[in-house]
Amino acid sequence: MEEEKQETVIKAENLTKDYGQGRGIFDLNFEVKKGETFGFVGTNGSGKTTTIRNIMGFIKPQKGHVSVLGQHAWEKSYEIKSHVSYIPGEIAFPDLNNGITFLKNQAELLGLKSMDYANYLIKKLQLDPSANLKRMSKGMKQKTAIVAALMSDKEILILDEPTTGLDPLMRETFIKLIFEQKAKGKTILMSSQMFDELEQTCDRVALIYNGRIVDIADVNALKNSTMKQYKIEFLEKEDYKRFKRTKFKVVRDQPQYTQVTVEIDDKDVNRLFKTLAKSKLKFIAEIKFNLEKHFKDILANQLKGEENVFQ
Amino acid sequence: MFFSKALFKQSMKANWVKWLSVTLATCVMLAIVIIVLGSLSINDIRDSLKNVFTQADQESVLKENAIDSYDAYLTTTDFENGIVSITSNALAWNYYLRGQVTSTYDANKTAYETENGAQPEGEALAQIQNQTAAEIVQNLRELAGQVGQIPGFEDMLAMLENLSDEQLAQFMLILIRTYEQNPTDFASSDNATLIAAVNEVYYDYVYEMAYETYLAKEDQTPESAASAAASAEELAGKAVVQYQTLSSQSSFVYSQELFKPYAQTEVNEMIKSQVLQSFNLPEDATDEQRSEAEQYAVAAKVISNTAISTYELWLSEGATAEDARIEATASITDQIDEKVAEALSELGNMDIYGLIIGSIFYRIAGILLPMVYVIMVANGLLAGQVDSGSMAYVLSTPTKRRTVSTTQMLYLLVSLFAMFACVTAVSVVSIWIVGGNAFAINFGEILLFNLGAFLTMFAFAGFCFMCSAIFNRTKYSLSIGGGISIFMLVCTILGLFGSSVVPSAMRIDQMNFFNYLSLITLFDTTSILSGGLNYLIGFGALAIVGIVTFVIGTFCFDKKDLPL
Repeated sequence: MEEEKQETVIKAENLTKDYGQGRGIFDLNFEVKKGETFGFVGTNGSGKTTTIRNIMGFIKPQKGHVSVLGQHAWEKSYEIKSHVSYIPGEIAFPDLNNGITFLKNQAELLGLKSMDYANYLIKKLQLDPSANLKRMSKGMKQKTAIVAALMSDKEILILDEPTTGLDPLMRETFIKLIFEQKAKGKTILMSSQMFDELEQTCDRVALIYNGRIVDIADVNALKNSTMKQYKIEFLEKEDYKRFKRTKFKVVRDQPQYTQVTVEIDDKDVNRLFKTLAKSKLKFIAEIKFNLEKHFKDILANQLKGEENVFQ
Repeated sequence: MFFSKALFKQSMKANWVKWLSVTLATCVMLAIVIIVLGSLSINDIRDSLKNVFTQADQESVLKENAIDSYDAYLTTTDFENGIVSITSNALAWNYYLRGQVTSTYDANKTAYETENGAQPEGEALAQIQNQTAAEIVQNLRELAGQVGQIPGFEDMLAMLENLSDEQLAQFMLILIRTYEQNPTDFASSDNATLIAAVNEVYYDYVYEMAYETYLAKEDQTPESAASAAASAEELAGKAVVQYQTLSSQSSFVYSQELFKPYAQTEVNEMIKSQVLQSFNLPEDATDEQRSEAEQYAVAAKVISNTAISTYELWLSEGATAEDARIEATASITDQIDEKVAEALSELGNMDIYGLIIGSIFYRIAGILLPMVYVIMVANGLLAGQVDSGSMAYVLSTPTKRRTVSTTQMLYLLVSLFAMFACVTAVSVVSIWIVGGNAFAINFGEILLFNLGAFLTMFAFAGFCFMCSAIFNRTKYSLSIGGGISIFMLVCTILGLFGSSVVPSAMRIDQMNFFNYLSLITLFDTTSILSGGLNYLIGFGALAIVGIVTFVIGTFCFDKKDLPL
C-alpha cells in the first residue's frame, strides 16, 4: 500500500466537471505512475484540457478529485506547483517586449538562479528569444512556451498539446527532448491529437471521448503484439470461397470484391501462406495495427451505440 | 507573503507606457488650466457684475430715502398749514385752543380730585390727559359741523380736514403736557410765544411720529430710526420757516404745489450732505479725498433729484402713491425680469475658478484619463490575462492566487498614487506660479482636490479590479467595470448642469438627478471651497467603496475556476 502511494504521482478519482449540455468531464479515473509518460488523446472538446486544468488546480471539480504527489490538486494548488511544469494549450504570453524578458521574468517567478538549462533548451530548439513576443510565429511561440516550462527542470511535466504549430522537423526534436526528460526519470502527462507522437513517447495513452475515458491503451503491449491483420483479394471467386471455408479468423468480409481481412498470430503466418499458395491472388497487404487503429476500432464500436448523437 | 516582485515588475513593464502618457496628459492639462486661468482675470467680469448689483441696491436705498424725505416735507407743510394759519388767525384760535386745553383739562383734573381725594399721578394722570385730548378733538369736529356760523374759524376747518383724529389727539396731548409743565407761558396772550410753543410741540410730534414709522420698517435699529427721525425734525423746522416766510406775503394762499420745488431742493441738499458726512472725512483730508467725496455726494444728489421727479411725474399721471414710489425707486435689477435679474446676480456671485478647477477639472476632465487608465489596467491585470491565457505562466509557478491578486492590486494602487503625486506636484507648482495663496484657490484647497480625485479613482480602481477578478472574459470585465465607470462619469457631466455650482441661467434642476447615479458625487468640491468639513464624509465613503471592492475582488479570484 505504502509502496503504491509512492509510485503514484497523479491520481484522478471520479473526477467530474459538468459544464452542462453534455460538456465537461465525467467520472474520470486514472493514475500516472512515477517515471511514466501518460498520454491523452481525443477530439476537440472531448475534455483533455479540462482534465489538465483540474490537475493544475485551476478549476474546482464538482465531484471527485485529483491528487498530485498525494496532495489535493485544488486545495493544495500552490504546493503542487513546486513540482510541476506546465505548457498551456493556448499560447498567449504576458504583455512583455521579447522572449528574453519573458523567460527572465518567468525564471524570477520560478526562483531559478541559473539560466544554463534554459540556454541549452533554446539552442536545442533553435529558438531566437530576442524576437518580439507579439510578432512570433505560432511555432516560435510554442518553442518559447516549451523552454519556459522545461527550464525549471521539475519532476512532473504537464503538457497540453505541446507540438501544436511545430514543423515536422521540430516535432522530431521535441520528441527527442521528451525522451531526454524520460531518461531523467520525470513523470510526464501530455495531451495531443497526433496518435503517432503519443505512440512514440508514451507508455500508456488514454482515449477521452465526450468527457469519459473510453480506453487506456498500453502502448508497449500494443507495439509488441503478435496479432496482425492481412487484407487479401482473390482473382478467382472459387479461391475466395475455398478460403472462406478454412479456419482463419475473418474480421472483415467483402464478397463483392472477393476480399477478406484475416487476423492471425505471427506463429500461424506460415500456415496462411501455405494455404494461399494454391490460390491466385490480386494482392496481400498487412493492415498496420497501431494506436490509431486500436482507438478507431473502439470508437467505431462506441458510435454504433450512440449513432443518433451525431445527427 | 502576498507579494511577488517578479509579477510587480512584469505589470510595470506591461503598463508603464499607459501610465506615462496618462500622467503627462493630465499634468499638462491641469497646468494649462491653472496657469491660463491665473493669467486671464476672469473674475474681473464677475466683480464688475457684482458691483453693478451692489450699486443698484445702494441706488435703490438712496432713492427710497429721497422719496421718504420728500413725502415728510410735504406732509409737514400740510400740517403746518393747518396749525400755523390758525395761529396767524390770532385771537380766535389763541383763546379757543387755550380755553379748550385749560378748562377741559382742569375740569377733568378737579373731577378726579373730588372723586379720589388726591392729585392724579402716573397712569391716572395719563388717562385724564387722553380723555381731555379726545374731548377737545370731539369739540373741534363738532365745531367743523357748524361751518359759517362761527366767523374766523375758516382756517381751522382746513386743518381739521388735513388731520386725522389720532394726529389731532396726539397733538392735543402734547399741548396738554406743555400746559402742565409751564402754565404761565401757556396762558400768555402774546401770539409769538404761543406760536413758538406750538412749533416746539410740533417738532417733537414730528420726531416721535417719524421715529415710530421708521422703527416699524424692516432693517431699522433704534439708532438708525432716531437718526432718521432727527433729520425729519430738521426738515420740519425748515418747512415751517419756509411756510412762515411765504405766508408773511400778503397774497399768500396755501397750496401744496407751491411747496414741491422747495421740498425737492431741500431733500436733494439733505441727501448730498448726508452722503458727504458718511465719508467721515478727517480734518487733514487731502483735496483729492475731498473732491472724491464731493463727487459721490453730487451723484447722490442727482439720483435723489431723478427719483423725486419720477415720483411726481407718476403721481401727476394718476398713479397711486405706492405705485409711483415703486416706479421711482426701481434700480436696474428691478427693471429687468425677475428671473433674469436673479440669474445675473448669481452670475456675479459665481466662483468661476472653483467651477472650472474644482467641478470640471478634478471631477470630470482631470479624472477622465486616469479612469481610462484604471479601466484598461485593472482589466489587463487579471481578467485580460486569464482571458488570453497568459495568466497560466504566472500560476504554473509557485505563486499563490492570493499573491497574484494582491500584487496586481498593489501595482494598480501604487501606479495610481504615483500618478496623482505627479498631478499634485504640478497643481501646487502651477498655483505657486499664478500667485500662491493669493490665487482664487489656495494650496490647502488644491491639495484637498487632489486627495479627493485620488480617493475617487481609488474607489473606481477597486470596482474595476473587482470586475476584473470576478470575470474570466475581458468583454464582461470591461463592459461591466469600465461601462459602469464611464456611465458614472457621464452622469457627473450631465449632473453638472443641475448642480448648484452652475449659475441658474444655465441650470436645469431636474438634471441634478444624474448626480445620484454617480460615485463622483461623493467627491464634494463645493464643500471644500466653502470651508466646511462635509467633504470628509464623502472621502470616507469613497475609501470604503475602494477597500470593500478590492477585498471582494481578492476573495473572488481565490475561489473561481480559471480557464488556463
